[in-house]
Amino acid sequence: MKRKFTAIALLFAAAGFTACEDTIDIDIPNGKTYTVVDAWITNVPGKQDIRITQTVPYTSSGSAPVVSDAKVTLTDITANKTYDFTFANGVYSHDPGVNRIGEIGHAYKLRVELKEGIFEAVDTIKRVPEVDSMAYDFKTKEESISNKEGFYARFYAKDIPGGTDYYWIRSTRNSATSAGRVEDIFAIDGSFAENISDGLNFIQPISEGITDYDTPFQAGENVTVAIRSCTKRSHTFLSQVQAQIDLGGLFAKILENVPTNLKNTDNNSQGRVLGWFGTSAITWSSIQMEH
Amino acid sequence: MKTTARLLMHLLLVLLAANSAFAQQRFTISGYVKDEKNGESLIGISIGKPGTSVGTVTNEYGFYSLTLPAGKHEIQFSYIGYQAQTFTVDLSANKRLDVKLGQSDRQLNEVVISGKQQEKNINTLNTSLNKLDIAEIKKLPTFMGEVDVIRTIQTLPGVNTVGEGAASFNVRGGNGDENLILLDEAPVYNSTHMLGFFSVFNPDAVKNINLIKGGFPAEYGGRTASVLDIRMKDGNNQKFGMTGGIGNIFSRLALEGPIQKDKSSFIIAGRRSYMDVLMKPFLKGDMKDTKLYFYDLTAKVNFQLNKNNSLFVSGYFGRDVFGFGKEANMNWGNNTASLRWNHIFNNRLFMNLTTYYTKYDYSLKFLSDEKSTSSQEFSWKSNIINYGVKPAFTYYLNANNTLHFGVQGTYYTFRPGRSLARQDEQEFNINLKDKNALEGALYLDHEWKAGNKFGVQYGLRLSGFQYIGKGTAYYYADTVAGTRKRFLGTKDYERGKTIADYYFLEPRISARYAINSSSAIKAAFSRSAQYMHQLSNTASPTPVDIWTPVSNNVKPQLTDQVTAGYFYNAPGDKFELSAEVFYKSMQDQLDFIDNADLDLNEYIEGDLLAAKGRAYGLELYVKKDIGATTGWVSYTLSRSERKTPGLSLNEWFINRYDRTHNLNIVMSHELNKRASFSANWMFASGTPATFADARLEFQDWDVPYNTTEKRNNYRLKPFHRLDLSFTYKGKQLKRWKGEWVVSLYNVYARRNAYTVYFRQNPDDPSKKEAVRLSIIGSIIPGITYNFKF
Repeated sequence: MKRKFTAIALLFAAAGFTACEDTIDIDIPNGKTYTVVDAWITNVPGKQDIRITQTVPYTSSGSAPVVSDAKVTLTDITANKTYDFTFANGVYSHDPGVNRIGEIGHAYKLRVELKEGIFEAVDTIKRVPEVDSMAYDFKTKEESISNKEGFYARFYAKDIPGGTDYYWIRSTRNSATSAGRVEDIFAIDGSFAENISDGLNFIQPISEGITDYDTPFQAGENVTVAIRSCTKRSHTFLSQVQAQIDLGGLFAKILENVPTNLKNTDNNSQGRVLGWFGTSAITWSSIQMEH
Repeated sequence: MKTTARLLMHLLLVLLAANSAFAQQRFTISGYVKDEKNGESLIGISIGKPGTSVGTVTNEYGFYSLTLPAGKHEIQFSYIGYQAQTFTVDLSANKRLDVKLGQSDRQLNEVVISGKQQEKNINTLNTSLNKLDIAEIKKLPTFMGEVDVIRTIQTLPGVNTVGEGAASFNVRGGNGDENLILLDEAPVYNSTHMLGFFSVFNPDAVKNINLIKGGFPAEYGGRTASVLDIRMKDGNNQKFGMTGGIGNIFSRLALEGPIQKDKSSFIIAGRRSYMDVLMKPFLKGDMKDTKLYFYDLTAKVNFQLNKNNSLFVSGYFGRDVFGFGKEANMNWGNNTASLRWNHIFNNRLFMNLTTYYTKYDYSLKFLSDEKSTSSQEFSWKSNIINYGVKPAFTYYLNANNTLHFGVQGTYYTFRPGRSLARQDEQEFNINLKDKNALEGALYLDHEWKAGNKFGVQYGLRLSGFQYIGKGTAYYYADTVAGTRKRFLGTKDYERGKTIADYYFLEPRISARYAINSSSAIKAAFSRSAQYMHQLSNTASPTPVDIWTPVSNNVKPQLTDQVTAGYFYNAPGDKFELSAEVFYKSMQDQLDFIDNADLDLNEYIEGDLLAAKGRAYGLELYVKKDIGATTGWVSYTLSRSERKTPGLSLNEWFINRYDRTHNLNIVMSHELNKRASFSANWMFASGTPATFADARLEFQDWDVPYNTTEKRNNYRLKPFHRLDLSFTYKGKQLKRWKGEWVVSLYNVYARRNAYTVYFRQNPDDPSKKEAVRLSIIGSIIPGITYNFKF
C-alpha cells in the first residue's frame, strides 16, 4: 500500500508540482514519560539483547535513558526452559554460548518486572525462507525515478508454500546489525496481502524495495538483506510502526499511537509500559556494490 | 411507513381541495423563460407584478407558473444581467407565455430594476443557499488558468477544505463525504482531477450552480452536509458556436449548436491535460513512458418535443491516468448519464422525470519488469454504480402556494475490490464481497406565502434504505471501544433478501419574515439521513477510498440542523448582505479505530466506529453584483467537533477540517471594455493536527508518540493566500472573440502547511524533526487564451 502511494507521490513530484517540505520549530510541552520495552528474540546462536528505555520528548537528540533496574526473564514455553536476562552495558542480555535461545516453532513468554508493575507478553518463532540471491543496477540521475544516481539493489527469495507467512524484511548499509537500517518491508507470503501469493517469489516491489530511492547505494557499499519471520500480531504491530514513522504527503494519516502487547499481570493496576515483545527466525545475505 | 404515506396523501388532498375552492376567478399564466441569444433556459428569473410581492421564479428548467385573479396585470420578467421585460396581460383564461430575455451590458446596467425581484435573497424562502452562475465563477482568479467550480464554492461562507489540493470540501463542519454533488441530477463521486487540483466540471458546459448548506427542501436527501447542484448548459439552439481555451496545463474545446433551430440543440465539451506530452522528451530510464494526464468529456442534447414536453440527455465521462511504462498503471474516473423529461400536465402542474446512471471506478495494475525472475502481475479494481429514477412534481396552486412532491429510488451496487495476483502460471484472486442496496424516498413540500411579510416552506421526507443480497453479512463481537472488533462469522443472503434496513422521517421547515422592503429574517430546521460513507482516514480522500453502505454493523448518519439569518438588500441592489448562524448535531458519523486497515480488508467493518458530532457557527456574506466592481466577502466563524468512544480519551475533539476563522475576499474590476482584473484573498485558521510529544526507541526506529492521547490537540499556522488575474480581450470581431487570461496563484508565495509530520532527519538520523509539508510553496503562474466563435 505504502508503495502504491509512494508511486503516486513520485509522479506528482515528476509533474513539477511545487510541493515542498521544510523543517519547522514547534513548541509542544514535554509528554509524560513511559517505560519502553524493545524485545526481539531471534534464532541466531549466541547472545540475545533486550533494551528497556524511557520515552523522551520527540525532538530531543541523543539516546533515550536506559532503565537498568528491571528484572527480565524469558521462558521457552514449548521446551519449558527459562532464561534470565541480566543488565550490562545498557542492555539486558543472556548468552547461551554456541547454542541458541530461539527455536523455530517454539512459543516464548517475556516477563519484565518494573516499578510500574509486572508485565508479560508472548510470541512464537515462525519459519523463514532463505535469501536465494542478490543483484543490483547502476542508474544515472536521469534514469532513476528519484533523480538520484547510484546503485539500486534487489534480492530474490521465495515464500514457503502452505499456510500464511508473515515476514519483516530489513536492509542495512555496511552493517549486519540494524544500526545501518535502510528500508523495512512487511510482506505477507510473497506479496503484501493474504491469500494471493502463497509459495511465490517475493514480488518486485518487495525484491526491489530494499534501496532507499532518495539515497541509493554507492560503489563499495555493502548491502545486507535479512528476512525475519513474524507472527501476524507482530507483523501488524510493525506495519503500524512503519505507518507512524512515514506520515508525510498529500494522503497523510493522522498520528496514531502504536499499541503494545505487554500486559500488566495485575488487572487492577493502572501501570502501563510501551513497546513490544516479538520473536523471529532470521536468514540473510549480503552483496557489495561495484561498477 | 404506510401511515406516513397515507398522511402525506391526505395532506395533499386537503391542499388540492383548498385550492379548488379559491380558484374560481383565477387564471394561470405559465411558460418557459429563455435567453434570446442562445435559447438557454434561464433559472431563477423573477416574474412578478412590479411594486407588489406577488410573483414567482423560474425553476431549474426555466419554467414558471403564476396564478392571478382575472383581469389586467402588468408582469415583469427580470434578472440581473438581463434586460427586464414587462408585459401587460389581460387574464380571462389560462395563458401560456414563453419569454425570451436579452442580456444587458453589466456596466450599463446600473439602472435600478424597478419592482421587487423574486429571486433576491430577501424574498426567497431558502436559507443557507448560494447561487452562482458561470459568468460569476469565470471572474475569479484561477489556478493554472483553469476556471474551477469547486475552488469557487470554497470562497463561500460555511465552506472550507483541509488544505490546498484536497479532493473534497467541508460544509458547515460536515465531513467531505456528506456533500451530495449532482451534475444534471446524477451524483458525482469524484469531483476532482489530479487528486484534488482541478474540478471535473468543464466550465464551458456549466450553466449555474446552487450550493445548499442548510434548510434543505424535502426534495433533497441522502447526504447531510450540503447539496451542490450543478446544471449543465443546454446548448445554443439558435446558432452554431465554438468556445475553447488553450492553457499551460490543459486545453478545452466546446461545440454547441442547434439540431433544429428553436427546438433542439447540443453541446459537447472536452478537456485534456498535456503535461505528459510536454514532459516526454525529458524522461529517461525509469521515468520513460510516464503517464500523467486526465481528460473529460461532457455532452448534452435537448429536444423540445412540443409545447409541453422536453427531453434532455446529458453525460459526463472523465478519467485520470497515472503510470510508469508497463510496470505501474492507475486510472480512475466518474461516468454519469442522465435522461430527463419535462412534462407540463397543465399550466400549473409541472413534472421533471430524471433517470440516471452514475459510476465511479478505479483500477490499479502493476507488472514486473524484465529483470524480475518471474512474470508477476497484480491488479485491483473497484467501483460503485447507481441507477436512479426520480419523478418530481411541482404544483403551482396559486400565487401564494406551491407544492413540490415526488418519489426517488436508487439501486446501488458496490464492488469494494477485486484483485488478481499472478506469478508466471499461478493466479490468485481476492474478491471482496459485492454489496447491493436500495434507497427510496417520498417527499412532499409546501411553499406558502402568507401575505407580503411571511412565508414558510415545510415538508416531510420519508427515506429508507435496504442493504440487500446477494451479499454477506459479517458479525462481530462487542469489544473495548476503539479497538478492532473480533470477527464472529458471516451469513450469506440470497439475491433481493434484506440484510439490514433503516427508515427515517425527515422533517424540513424554513420560514421567512420580511421586516421591510429591504430586509428579512429567516429560520430553518432540517433533519437528514445519510446511508453511505466514504472510507477514508487520510487528510484528504484518495482516489482509492471506497464508498460503503450502511449495514448490520454501520448505522446511517442522522443530522439535525437549525439555522437562522438576517438578510438585507441595499436600495438599488447596490449590494446584498446576509448573516446566518447554524447549529448542527450529528449522530453516527463514521470514524475509525487507531491503525485501521482500510485497504482490501474484508473485515473492514470491525475497524469502524460511530461518532457523535456537533458543529456551529456564524456566517457573514456581502455580495455586489452590479457595477464595474463586483465580488463578495465571506467570513465564517465556526467550530466542528466529534466524540468517538475509544478515541481521544472519549472526549470531544475538534475535527481535522475545523477552521475557526475563514475569510474570503473575491473582487473583480472592469477597467474598461477590454481589460479587467480580479483578486481573491483567503485567510483561514490552521487546521488542527495531532502532534507527537514523545518518541520511543524500538528496533532502531524512533516512533512518534502522543502521550496526551488527545486528537487534534494543536493547530497548524493560519492559511492565507492571494491570487490575481488579469483578462485582456482582443479585438472583438463579429465572429471571433478572444481573450487572454494571465493568472498568478499564491502571489506572495506563502508556504501554507498542509500537514506537519515527525521524522528522523534523512541525513542525520539522530536528529528528530517536525516537517511542514506545503502542497503549493511558490507562486504559480498560469496563462490561458480563451476563444469564442
